[in-house]
Amino acid sequence: MLQLSDIITWIHEFLSANIPAEWAVKLIEYVLVGLGFLTLYALIALFLIIFERKICAYFQCRLGPNRVGPWGIFQVIADMVKILLKEIIPLKHNDKLLYYAAPFIVIMGSLLTFGGLQFAKGVHGVDFNIGVFYLLAVSSISIIGVMLAGWSSNNKYSLIGAMRSGAQVISFELSACLSMMAMVILCGSMNLSDMMESQGRLWFIFQAPIPAFIGMVIYLIAAHAETNRGPFDLPEAESELTAGYHVEYSGITFGFFYVGEYCNLFINAAIGALVFLGGWQPLHFPGCEGFNAVMDYIPSCVWFFGKTLLLIFLSLWVRWSFPRLRIDQLLHLEWKIMLPFSLFNILLMAVLVANGWVF
Amino acid sequence: MIKYFTNIFSGIVNLLKGMKVTGKVLISPAVTQPYPEKRDELKPKDRFRAELTMPHNASNEHKCTACGICAMNCPNQTIQVTKNKITDENGKPKIILDQYLYDIGSCIFCGLCTRVCPQGAIEFTTNFEHAVYTRSKLVKQLNQPGSKKMEVAKPAAAQQKVDAEPKQNNENNQ
Amino acid sequence: MEDIKKLLAKVASGKTLAENTQYPTLELEPNEVRAVAQKLKDAGFDYLINLTGVDYGDALGTVYHISSSTDKTALVVLKTKTADRENPVLHTVCDIWQSANLYEREVYDFFGIRFINHPDMRRIFLRGDWKGFPFRKDYNEVNETPTTNVDIDDLETLPSITLDRDGKIVEKNAKLFGANEYVVNIGPQHPATHGVLHLRTSLDGEIVKKIDPNFGYIHRGIEKLAENLTYPQILPYTERLDYLSGSINRHAFCMCVENAAGIEVPQRAQYVRVIFDELTRIASHLLGWGCMAMDMGAITAFIYGMRDREKIMDIFEENGGGRLMPAYSIIGGLTKDVTSGFEKTVLDFVSYMRESIKEYHTLYTHNPIASDRMHNVGWLTKETAVALGATGPTGRASGWSNDVRKIAPYSAYTKVNFKEILRNTDTCKGDSFDRYIIRLDEVEESLNIIEQLVTNLPGDGFQVKVPAIVKLPEGEYYQRAETARGDFGVYIKSDGNKNPYRVKFRSPCMTLISALDPLCKGEKIADLITIGASLDYVIPCADR
Repeated sequence: MLQLSDIITWIHEFLSANIPAEWAVKLIEYVLVGLGFLTLYALIALFLIIFERKICAYFQCRLGPNRVGPWGIFQVIADMVKILLKEIIPLKHNDKLLYYAAPFIVIMGSLLTFGGLQFAKGVHGVDFNIGVFYLLAVSSISIIGVMLAGWSSNNKYSLIGAMRSGAQVISFELSACLSMMAMVILCGSMNLSDMMESQGRLWFIFQAPIPAFIGMVIYLIAAHAETNRGPFDLPEAESELTAGYHVEYSGITFGFFYVGEYCNLFINAAIGALVFLGGWQPLHFPGCEGFNAVMDYIPSCVWFFGKTLLLIFLSLWVRWSFPRLRIDQLLHLEWKIMLPFSLFNILLMAVLVANGWVF
Repeated sequence: MIKYFTNIFSGIVNLLKGMKVTGKVLISPAVTQPYPEKRDELKPKDRFRAELTMPHNASNEHKCTACGICAMNCPNQTIQVTKNKITDENGKPKIILDQYLYDIGSCIFCGLCTRVCPQGAIEFTTNFEHAVYTRSKLVKQLNQPGSKKMEVAKPAAAQQKVDAEPKQNNENNQ
Repeated sequence: MEDIKKLLAKVASGKTLAENTQYPTLELEPNEVRAVAQKLKDAGFDYLINLTGVDYGDALGTVYHISSSTDKTALVVLKTKTADRENPVLHTVCDIWQSANLYEREVYDFFGIRFINHPDMRRIFLRGDWKGFPFRKDYNEVNETPTTNVDIDDLETLPSITLDRDGKIVEKNAKLFGANEYVVNIGPQHPATHGVLHLRTSLDGEIVKKIDPNFGYIHRGIEKLAENLTYPQILPYTERLDYLSGSINRHAFCMCVENAAGIEVPQRAQYVRVIFDELTRIASHLLGWGCMAMDMGAITAFIYGMRDREKIMDIFEENGGGRLMPAYSIIGGLTKDVTSGFEKTVLDFVSYMRESIKEYHTLYTHNPIASDRMHNVGWLTKETAVALGATGPTGRASGWSNDVRKIAPYSAYTKVNFKEILRNTDTCKGDSFDRYIIRLDEVEESLNIIEQLVTNLPGDGFQVKVPAIVKLPEGEYYQRAETARGDFGVYIKSDGNKNPYRVKFRSPCMTLISALDPLCKGEKIADLITIGASLDYVIPCADR
C-alpha cells in the first residue's frame, strides 16, 4: 500500500543520494516543503470555495455555479483569475502600511498553522513537542490582520467591524483552548504525534465519550466563531456593516481575506479532526481485528481529509441554517454558557483520567 | 439554575430542528430551472406580456389603421405611429400606416395599448428574450416592410363605433 | 355619522359642514386649524390618516383626513387654504399628530407652504437646492434648470419658522447632529435598507442614538405625473408605488375611480380582485419574512420565502400576464377572466402554503438565536403607533386594530368571514417579534380568505363596459385599502376633466420609516436592522 510518507522518504533518499552536501539537500527540501504547503493552501482554498458554493446552493434549493466546467467546478478558477485582474483601489487618508500589511498578516497566520498540521501518517511540516499549543497560538494571529484592516481603512463600518471582531475572537479563543486542554489531559502530551499515536487504538472521542463530545462541540462552535463565518459573522455582518472590516479592500487584497477565511475554515476543522477524531488514524475498535484490518486499507490521508471535510460540512450546515447573533448574545454564549461548560469539562476529564475511567 | 439548563437544552433542540429543515432541502432536488438548457420546456404562460407585436397574415397584411389611439394612451410614450396620406385607386384620400415604432426599452407592459386598440391590430406575445447590445436596437418597427392594411369585410364606419369599447370583447370571442 | 357631524359642529363653532362631500368636511381659516385640531384630538380623533397639499389656483391649501383609534369607522376631513402664494404660511399640527411631521415637510417640498413651529422644514424628497415648488400649477419645469448642481445637499441644518409676539415670522436654524457625534451613513446603498433609503445614524459604540431618515432617492413624482395622465394611464403607476402590494394599490385606485364615476363592478371581478389582493399580501409577507431572515443573517430562509412566493408569481403570470405587476384590475373589472384551472391552482397553493408555514416556524420562529434577537427590542406602544400613523401589521402588532378590511370593508371583504389578526397588548409589548409573527399569522388568515372566495366564485362576468374616456365628476374622493403594509389611501381631486386635478397616495411606508427613530433609540446596530426589517417598509412607496 503506497503511503504519502513513502513518497516523501523516497524524495529524501533520492536527493541525499544525488547531492553530496547535506545543507543543500536540506535547503532543497525546505523549498519543496514550502512550495508544497503553498500549493496545498491555494488548492484547499479553491476547493473549499466551490464546495461551499455548491453545498449552500443545495441547502437553498438552488443549483449553484454550473456554467464553467462540469458542475461548475472551474467557476472558482475563473473567479480567481478575475480577482487577480481586478484593480486594487488606493484610498486616501488611510494608514498605507497597515492597510496593505493586514491581508498578508491574515494569510500568514493561517499559512503558519499548516506547518503544525499532520496531513497523513508521517506527513507534517514540523513536529513540535507543544504542537497543540502552537496550532492554537498561530491560528489566532490572523485576528491581528483583521483588526489592522478595520483600523487602517479609516472607515466607520470597518472600525465597528474590527472592534466586534476583537471582542469576538478574544472571547472564543478561551473556549477553544480550554476544550483542547481537556484532550491534552486525556493524552498526557501536547505533541501531535503522540496524540496520533495514542488515538491509533481508539479515537479520543471514543476513549472518553462524554467529556470528549462536549469538548468537541464547544471546540467546533468556538472555532467556527473564530473564522468569522455565519452565524458568527458579526465583523463582516453583510446586512449591518455591508462588509465590515474588509469593506475598503478590493482586488487581490480582498482576495487574501477571502482565501484566508476559507483556509481558516479548513484549519479549524483539521485541528478538530486531529484532536478529537483521530486525525489520519483509521477507525479502530479494540477487539475487532478484521474490521480494523479493513479500515487500514484506506490510506491515512483519505482518513484525515475525510474527517476534515465532514467537520467542514457540519460547519457549512450551521452557517447556512442560522441567523447571525447579536454582539451581546455572542458574548453571553461565550462567557455564560461555553466557558463554564468547558471549565467543567476539564474537571470532568481530569477526574476520569485520574481514576482511569477511560476506554 | 434549572431554567439555565432547560434553556440551553431547548435551544439546542430547536437549532437541530432547524438544521433538519435545511437538511431535508439539501437532499431534495433543486427548484431552480437551468436556462437556456431547458429553454423549450420553460415557456412563459400564454397571457404573459413580454413584447408588443403586430400580427401579419400570410399575405403580409396587418389590421392597423394608424389611428394612433395606442400611442395616445401609452403612459410612457413608448409607441410612435407615423402615417402617410395617399390617394387610393378611386382617387379618395386615405391615411395608411407608414411606420409603427415601439420602444421596448421604455415599455412598462401595462397592456393599455392592446386594450384600447379598436382594430385588435396589436397584441402582446411571450417572447421575453430582449437582450441586445445597443439601446437603439430596442426600438422596433412592428409593421413589416411592404405590408399593408388588411381589407376588412365590415364597413369602416362600423369599426369606428367600436372605438369606445375596450377590446376585451374581441378577445373573448377569439 | 350624525354623531360626527354634531361633534364637528361643536368643535368648529359657527362653521357649517361643506355640502355633498364623501366624508364630513370642515373648511377652516388658517388660524382656526390648530384649535379645531386640538379639540378633535381631545375628542378621540388621534389618527391623522393623510395630509395633502393642494394648489387651488388662487390659493394654496392642505387637506387633513383624520380618524380615530377608538371609533375606527369615523373619518373627518379638515381643509384650509391661504391666498398668499408668495410666502404661504400655515400652522403646524405636528405636535398634535406626530405623523404630520413628514407630511408637512412633503407639503413644503411640493407647494412651498411653510408651517409655523414645525421643527424641521427641510425639503423631503427633492434636493435642498431645488428651485421652485413643482406641484404648484404655475410651476414651469421646462424653462428652468431645477437644481444648481453646485451646492451639496445640506442635510445638517434644520430650518424652522416661529411667530414672535407681534405675529411676525422669525426664521431659525438648528443643527441635526452635534459636532462630535459618530454619524454613520446607513444607505442609500446598503443591503438592509430594502431600497434606496438613507439613514443617517448617530452611534455611541454599538448603540444607536439618533436616526435621521433621508428620503427621495427613488422619488419619481408619480403624483405629479398623474396630473397629466388619464385615469387608466395612472393605473400602471399605482402598481409601482409599493411594488410588493401592486395589485392592492391598483385595486384601491380602481375602486376610487369606480365609486366616483358610479361604475358597478360585477361580483366575480370583485371576488377575483380580492383573491389577488390576498395572494399579493401573502407574497409580500413571504418576502418580508425572508428579508427579515436575511437581514438577520439567515440567507437560506430568504430563499425559502422566495421559493414559495414563486408559486404566487406563477398564478399572477397565468391570469394577469405579469409577475410582480400583474396589471389585472382595470376600471370596471378585470382585463380578462381567470383561466380555467384557476380554482384548482389556487387551492393547491393554499394547501402547500399551510405546510410551508409550519416549516418556517421550525426553521426560524423557534430558532433561539432569531427569537432572542427579536424579543424585547424595538417596543412600539399602541399610543406611539397611533400618533405616528404606523398602520398595518406594525400597528396591529402593538394592539391597534386598524385593518381597513374590517373598518371600511370594500369589494368582496364584506362577503368573507375572517378575523383581524391582532396581538394581545396584555401579553406582548409590540416588539420586533410581534411584528414578525403577525405577518405569518396574517398569511394563514389570507389563506382562509382565499379558500372561502375561490370556492364560491360567482358567474356574473368579469367586466362592465366603461366609457373610453373616464371622467370623474367634480369633487374630492378618498378611498382606503389595506395593503400588506397598512392603510393605503387614494385621494383624487377632480375638476371634471379626463385628468385628475390632484392625486395623492397615502403611503403606509413613510409613516413606518418615521417610526424608526423612536423605535431604535438606545438599541444596537444589529437591532436597527431587525427593527427596520420588522417594519417591512418599501422605499418606492414612501418616495412615490
